Amino acid sequence: MRRLIENRFGMLALVLIALGAVYGVAFVSRPAPAVPVKAEPVRAPIAAVSTVCPDPGGAMVTAVTPPNAEGTGQTLIEDGDEPATVDEPGKLWQKTMAAGTDPMRVHATGAMASGLEAAQTRRTLTGAARGLAGVRCVDPGADAWFVGPGPAAGDLELHLANVESAPADVALVVYSGEGQVIAERASGLLLKPGEHRVVDLKKVAPSPLVMALNVSTGRGRVAAAVEAATPEGVDWLPQTTGPAERVVVPGLPGSAGRRELYVAAPGESDAVVDVKAVLKDGSYALENRETVEVPAGSVVTLDLSTGVTGQPAAIVLTSETPVVAGLKIVGTGGRTDVAFTAGAPPIDLGSVVADARSTKDVTSRLILSAPDTAADVTVTLLPREGKAPDPIEVAIPAARTKEIILKGPAKGFSVVVMPKTGSGPVYGGRVMEERAAGGQLVTAQPLAVARTWTLVPPVTEQPSAVLSQPS
Amino acid sequence: MHSVTAIVVAHDGSRWLRDTLRAVLAQTRPVDRGVGVDNGSRDGSRDLLGEAFGKHGVVQMPRGSGFAEAVHEVVRRLPKAPGDTEWIWLIHDDCAPDARALEFLLHAADEYPETAVLGPKLRDWLDRKLLLEVGVTVARSGRRETGLEAREYDQGQHDAEPRGVRDVLAVSSAGMLIRRDVWDELGGLDARLPLFRDDLDFCWRARAAGHRVLAVTAAVAWHAEASSKRRRRIAASDDHPRRLARRYSLFVLMANLPFWTMLWSLLRNTVGSLIRTVLFLVAKQPAHAVDELAAIGSVLFHPLRLRRARKARKGSRAGYRLVKPMFSPPSLAFRRAWEMVQNQLSGGGPMDSAGRHHAVRQPGAEEGDELLNDDDGFLRRTFASPGVRLFVLLTAVAIAAERDLLTGGLLGGGALVPVAGGASDLWAFYTGEWAPPYVAVLAVLSTLTFGKTWLAVSILLLGCVPLSGLSAYLATRSFVSYRPARVWMAATYALLPVATGVVAAGRIGSAVVFILLPVYASLATKVLADTRPVSFNRVARRAAWGLGLLLAVGTAFAPILYVFVAVLGLLAALSFGGVRRGVGGNLLISLGVPLLLLGPWLATIVQDPARILREAGLPMTSSPRLAPEALLTLNPGGPGTPPIWATAGLLAVALGALLLRRHQFIVAVGWGVAIVGVLAATVVSRMSTWPGVPLAFAATGLLVSTALAAHRVAEFRRAGGLRKAGAFLIVLVAFATPVAAATLWIMDQADGPLQRNVRSPLPAIAEAQSKPGQGTLLIRTADTGLTYTVLHGRIPVIGESERAAYGSDFTDAVAGLASGRGGGDAAELAGRGIAFVSVPAPIDPALRRALDSEPTMARITLTDRAGLWRMTGPVTPERPPADDTWHRWWLYGQGVLVVIVLILAAPGARTPETEAVEEIPAGRERVAA
Repeated sequence: MRRLIENRFGMLALVLIALGAVYGVAFVSRPAPAVPVKAEPVRAPIAAVSTVCPDPGGAMVTAVTPPNAEGTGQTLIEDGDEPATVDEPGKLWQKTMAAGTDPMRVHATGAMASGLEAAQTRRTLTGAARGLAGVRCVDPGADAWFVGPGPAAGDLELHLANVESAPADVALVVYSGEGQVIAERASGLLLKPGEHRVVDLKKVAPSPLVMALNVSTGRGRVAAAVEAATPEGVDWLPQTTGPAERVVVPGLPGSAGRRELYVAAPGESDAVVDVKAVLKDGSYALENRETVEVPAGSVVTLDLSTGVTGQPAAIVLTSETPVVAGLKIVGTGGRTDVAFTAGAPPIDLGSVVADARSTKDVTSRLILSAPDTAADVTVTLLPREGKAPDPIEVAIPAARTKEIILKGPAKGFSVVVMPKTGSGPVYGGRVMEERAAGGQLVTAQPLAVARTWTLVPPVTEQPSAVLSQPS
Repeated sequence: MHSVTAIVVAHDGSRWLRDTLRAVLAQTRPVDRGVGVDNGSRDGSRDLLGEAFGKHGVVQMPRGSGFAEAVHEVVRRLPKAPGDTEWIWLIHDDCAPDARALEFLLHAADEYPETAVLGPKLRDWLDRKLLLEVGVTVARSGRRETGLEAREYDQGQHDAEPRGVRDVLAVSSAGMLIRRDVWDELGGLDARLPLFRDDLDFCWRARAAGHRVLAVTAAVAWHAEASSKRRRRIAASDDHPRRLARRYSLFVLMANLPFWTMLWSLLRNTVGSLIRTVLFLVAKQPAHAVDELAAIGSVLFHPLRLRRARKARKGSRAGYRLVKPMFSPPSLAFRRAWEMVQNQLSGGGPMDSAGRHHAVRQPGAEEGDELLNDDDGFLRRTFASPGVRLFVLLTAVAIAAERDLLTGGLLGGGALVPVAGGASDLWAFYTGEWAPPYVAVLAVLSTLTFGKTWLAVSILLLGCVPLSGLSAYLATRSFVSYRPARVWMAATYALLPVATGVVAAGRIGSAVVFILLPVYASLATKVLADTRPVSFNRVARRAAWGLGLLLAVGTAFAPILYVFVAVLGLLAALSFGGVRRGVGGNLLISLGVPLLLLGPWLATIVQDPARILREAGLPMTSSPRLAPEALLTLNPGGPGTPPIWATAGLLAVALGALLLRRHQFIVAVGWGVAIVGVLAATVVSRMSTWPGVPLAFAATGLLVSTALAAHRVAEFRRAGGLRKAGAFLIVLVAFATPVAAATLWIMDQADGPLQRNVRSPLPAIAEAQSKPGQGTLLIRTADTGLTYTVLHGRIPVIGESERAAYGSDFTDAVAGLASGRGGGDAAELAGRGIAFVSVPAPIDPALRRALDSEPTMARITLTDRAGLWRMTGPVTPERPPADDTWHRWWLYGQGVLVVIVLILAAPGARTPETEAVEEIPAGRERVAA
């Protein structure tokens, strides 16, 4: 050893051998490139839901919680002086309210919150307000979008309710066919806690024939809903998904009548929107209406009647610029009624429709579309009385739409749509039609994600959150 | 006519006496009478005196007599010479006057007839041109002031014009010429001052009585100062001359000052003495400290003695106004303070003893030009030092590379929390709870930088490259003698990939360790390599304490350092322990001090061993897939590190150095450290930890073993021809590494996560409206989901990130809140003190919806850059941590331990051995005479 160290090359050789050994150790111990594991969000039952029925006067209000969560809970329906409580999942609570009832808050906690759904449906057979007008009771939020006919085409009323304990500062932005409407009265609406107000949109923007409306709050939250009374009929405009590059408008029924699509580009740049219809037998671009150009800040109408009337459908819009979209369904007959559907999210976590009926005159249709990949769903009916029928399994091939005529107890029922594990994204809508003297009554509601589950994101405590991540 | 009586007082001074007597007897103006006094010498001085003055010209005194007593005895016996002006010429046995001294003195006396006392210019006995004094004065501290620089040579610069005399407060009793009538009038030298300061006292009284005291610069005497330099034993007192001098200084001052002035001076000197005592203790000169205390004590505790002395000096106080102008100016006090600091820095102890007759410096081992803070030509020498030039160059490189990081808003990113707050915040954090100990180090540094934490952090982190270069240059002084090699080594070390990586990623822990590492190497060498016996081995012991203290600092910043040093230390103990006594003990000290100083914190690390891999600051993972070739080229990977070829030159030179057969053992040790370091780096890296610290160790080993062989390059160059070309090539390759590293670094602009103008994580509204105990929940969207942390009304200070986590319940509540499931999540968070929820951009829409839909929260702002929500319900403020008695005691204990270790590690007087070699060999003495 000593001689080795004292020899000049011996030392060099020793060192080189050692370095080689270290290299070997480092080489062998080097792990394979790790695939970054993305932690998936976890489903968790919703623990509390608060929803507001905007104008229940003269309408039938339905509230239901599907029986899917364990434990106890309570639903509190703040029906004026005589609040009702429900603590049994799967049981429908239905009541026709007296005219002039204030907005009604439905609040559920615990197991009763998991999937709570409420809706109001008004059926008027005479007068200017003749028609079926239904709306899903809305969650208070900071941002809501509505797309439909404008104040020049009829009476449009915006129902605002602040059921929170903090005041809400509401601002309205109206987009018309000619561009964004600059209105003085559109902002600075202050709603005190517990206050509700009806805004006549004619006073905000009198001229638009078609409009997209954005209701947002600077602080606080508000429950917003829009009721449209046009010469063609009355209904509520459902809340649509916010501006996105891909919008799916589901729930076009397979019945006759006009279909009119509204597309708005609320951003700074013009949008070129590809329009596709997902029908029973496939997904098609509509002839001569493959694309529609939407100038920045304005709303464009597109008549789809010749393409999709008579077949259940969903409309898929894609654009490089975020757009919002809504659709008008006009019933048949001498005196028409209208219904509105709008852009909706996929119902990955399931969906509940509170109110559906099936009698001699009334037909409830469930329209389910799978625009991307094949989907499998289970449809369960929750009757108001009697035993629940067996769940129906529905398979929707990729890029197809299926319509199910819901057959249930005459007294009314709720519908639970639950995609099976591994199913592709499903969009849907429920349309209720009633044969009435003078013409068909119709109302529609796109399927919203049930308030059953929520995705709990993976969360870690990390002191380095004080720093912005390197981009 | 003058009549001069020379009185030679001898006490064991035969070594000098022969020359002294010869000089006295050989005066050009012969003395009229000569008398010798022998204070009981045992070395034949008496015979020498007898030879010179005749048997009857010698007075025999008891051995314990003082100088004044001896002179009094002679004067008493001396018959008066009527008609003449009588003079008494006091000669110490170690003071040889020049042949014409008396002539000049008397000449001056003729010129200025009002003169009562005259003295020659004193020069050193051995170093014949060295000035000792030209008259003296006294400072208000009682210090005897000569007004001369240390080791000043006589080139006539103090020779007074006109006619070679200077009015002074006092002259030394060595060679002092006194008019006899004045002697009688004033009662002569005070016999109560047997040895020192009697001259000062006497001249003071003469001055106060209206006489003149002159230093005659034409007259020269050579003085050995044998008593004060302890060249001989003093019999007049058992005390150390230093203590005597200090005591008599104070005594003379107190005895002669007017009452109120005296009281003030007493107070001043008491305080001054206490301060000096502390300084002496710090410098580990306990003997000096005791002397200092004893001196002031003997004045304070003997008021009667003082009163008697004052009574006898009524006249002296009356003439105070005559004396006062002669005191040394106050500016001199500042100069002395500066000298003291310089002395301390240069290792000479905080001050030279006040007992010396002039500012003597021990001509100890000079550090030469390596010492940056030397006393003469400070600036010139500073900028001539290659170390300083290197430092300036590296600073320029660092400024060029970090140009985007130097100015602007908050500095943060990588492992560094945005640096906000001041020293007081750090202190409050450290004393308020069990905080990691590096917070205390940063708090100390921040206090030194005027309370500005950002400045301290910037110096450590952004100045990491120049500082580590400087420390590498200075620390290798003791073992690499070839200076260009040290420059190369320091530059290469400072620009290692580890250093640039440290800066780019804001790793302040690694930065501190990187700066300290060369110091560890230097101290460890001292601990291991000192071969002297243990009893004399104070240098090694001090180095051991110093290493322990610095190791504690480094360990606090990066605990992995301790593991590494412990392993190397154990290996060293195994190989050296048997050979060198004391090495084991010293290693134990070095490794034990960190354990002692960081005890409780290390205990928490033992409970959670994974934390040993963490360093100060935010946790930051590193890729476990670091390439083997990167490890071998000392490249730790991550942001800010150059391509792996940048260090190729270093490796090439290091391997080449193996071919030289010199220092084989040390080269082997260096390579051993390097290979162990790379191996450790591999292990650490595979555990997803940045291997900066082990690679810095490896680089140090490599650099030292290479630099030791570098002087061979100079030999090659001298050899000329092919070898000269080879030498040139080697230098080229060697310097390629630092030059390439610097160039790449500047081109790269120190790019990395560390940024200036970091956005404050805490929105201004939340900062302004948070009440004590309320927190702001900060949620950020990351690749792996959401991350969160809680801020307490301000940007967290460094170290707060290591606080105990909030726990899984809290995390679940945050997750629930972020999911928007409703329920009690928000209320639970509010119950834990959360008042605000802040979400910086990019804001996940789902998260925004969830927060918007939470009924008990209200949105305050939402922009593209950030959103802020507030709890509308009641917020329970988090209770401040309970007052922890253990923690308080531990802080006190830690403080005391640090002070003790500091005292034990502080450089004391540099050469404790000088006392042992003080005796001057007889042969040299003859030559000097």
